[in-house]
Amino acid sequence: MFIDIDCNQVKKYNQNAFGDYFVSKRYPDEAKLIAVLSDGLGSGIKANILSCMTATMLLKFIEKQEIPIRHAAEIVMNSLPVCQVRKISYSTFSIIDVNDDGYAKIIEEGNPEFLWIRNGEVLEPPFETIPSKTFKNRCLKSYKIKLELGDRLIFCSDGVTQCGLGNGRLKLGLRREGLINLVLSKLQEEPEISSSDLSAYIIRQTKNIETDRLPKDDISACVLYFREPRTSLVFTGPPFNQKKDPEYAKIFQDFTGKKAICGGTTANLISRELNLPITMDKEISIGKLPSCSYMDGVDLVTEGILTLTEALEYLDSGKLDIDNAAGKLIKFLLDSDCINFMVGAKLNQAHYNPALPVEIEIRKNIIKKMAIVLQDKYFKKVSVQYM
Amino acid sequence: MEKISVKVCLGTTCFVMGSANLQELIDIVPQKYGDKVDVSGVPCLGLCATDWEFSKAPYVKVDNDIIKEATVEKVISAIDAKLAK
Repeated sequence: MFIDIDCNQVKKYNQNAFGDYFVSKRYPDEAKLIAVLSDGLGSGIKANILSCMTATMLLKFIEKQEIPIRHAAEIVMNSLPVCQVRKISYSTFSIIDVNDDGYAKIIEEGNPEFLWIRNGEVLEPPFETIPSKTFKNRCLKSYKIKLELGDRLIFCSDGVTQCGLGNGRLKLGLRREGLINLVLSKLQEEPEISSSDLSAYIIRQTKNIETDRLPKDDISACVLYFREPRTSLVFTGPPFNQKKDPEYAKIFQDFTGKKAICGGTTANLISRELNLPITMDKEISIGKLPSCSYMDGVDLVTEGILTLTEALEYLDSGKLDIDNAAGKLIKFLLDSDCINFMVGAKLNQAHYNPALPVEIEIRKNIIKKMAIVLQDKYFKKVSVQYM
Repeated sequence: MEKISVKVCLGTTCFVMGSANLQELIDIVPQKYGDKVDVSGVPCLGLCATDWEFSKAPYVKVDNDIIKEATVEKVISAIDAKLAK
């Protein structure tokens, strides 16, 4: 199963920093994911620092597996100081540690209870309450659940459940029931909606409920969706050992997901080995990149190093809506959940000619950087195979 | 008469060495020669890898003749020479 996760947020009005903090990390080797959503007391910079510290510390504690998730949450709960003004703890948090088989451990302290949705219904899982040894008014809720394909989990800060508080229509705010109605009706309309779109929808709707559309608190919604992964393969660079060309071409041919080729030589290799003609886009290349080519059974064919370098730049800066080959490559990558790179290690000596007017990076380095960005910033599962 | 085929290499080396500008051939040639000549880009002619020591990119192929360090003028005169035969 693939875990599609995303979080959207808005700040409290008149503030210049987010008071909620969301952090998530995938661990491909252990086939698991950890995410933490923390809500810092108050708003603005102070809340931002509190929530950021809570979330990142929890993630660090758990990821090393030196202490179990429950113990880590207890340590943080027992050591969070009390605000002198409000006499409540400095931050609240929700943690989820889930593996690809769907086994999830969830711990909450102070945040609204998460929603677990299966087949259009909300499930109410049992939980264990762990009271704090040092503070009477604090307790953890610990869940162990088994998720199935199609399940969704929704975590949010109290900015969501309390939005609209005190306005004419919702005297007590949206509350959990309101959120459930909102989410279930959206799911009925769009059963396959991505986590990114659903969390953005929740945020938009909650903002609309607020008087004058001004959020009175920081609002965050984090959505997890368990579904079949969309896989893709990117073949770039000719293999070091030319004798193995047919072997790699066969792997490429047999791959069942979406396929892209980045590199002229690589495209020629596949065309030759699989007997597929290449046709080039008649359009004059836009900007500084050669345009795409077409090959039957291949979703995208681009030039190599220049396109990859530019795509990496766009991925880094978050500028994603670009009308050239790099833009198409980005769209291809972001529409996938699991991306496999087949990277040929053969160097083209001509690329190291000092007369070349631009910096041409080594392919391996670009792919290494791209894999990190796709993993850390876009939460993709990436594997790289050098040939 | 068979059409003359012009292939402009748009591989990495050729592209940065000047074939980006050779793309104007795609506009110029049909205007000048009508349908006697067929111009297209190709992902890579694979020539820089074999000729790298004294890389003469960008490369253009006019039928089977390779034009090294190609410019629009060089390509046009190669086409003219072919048509004159």
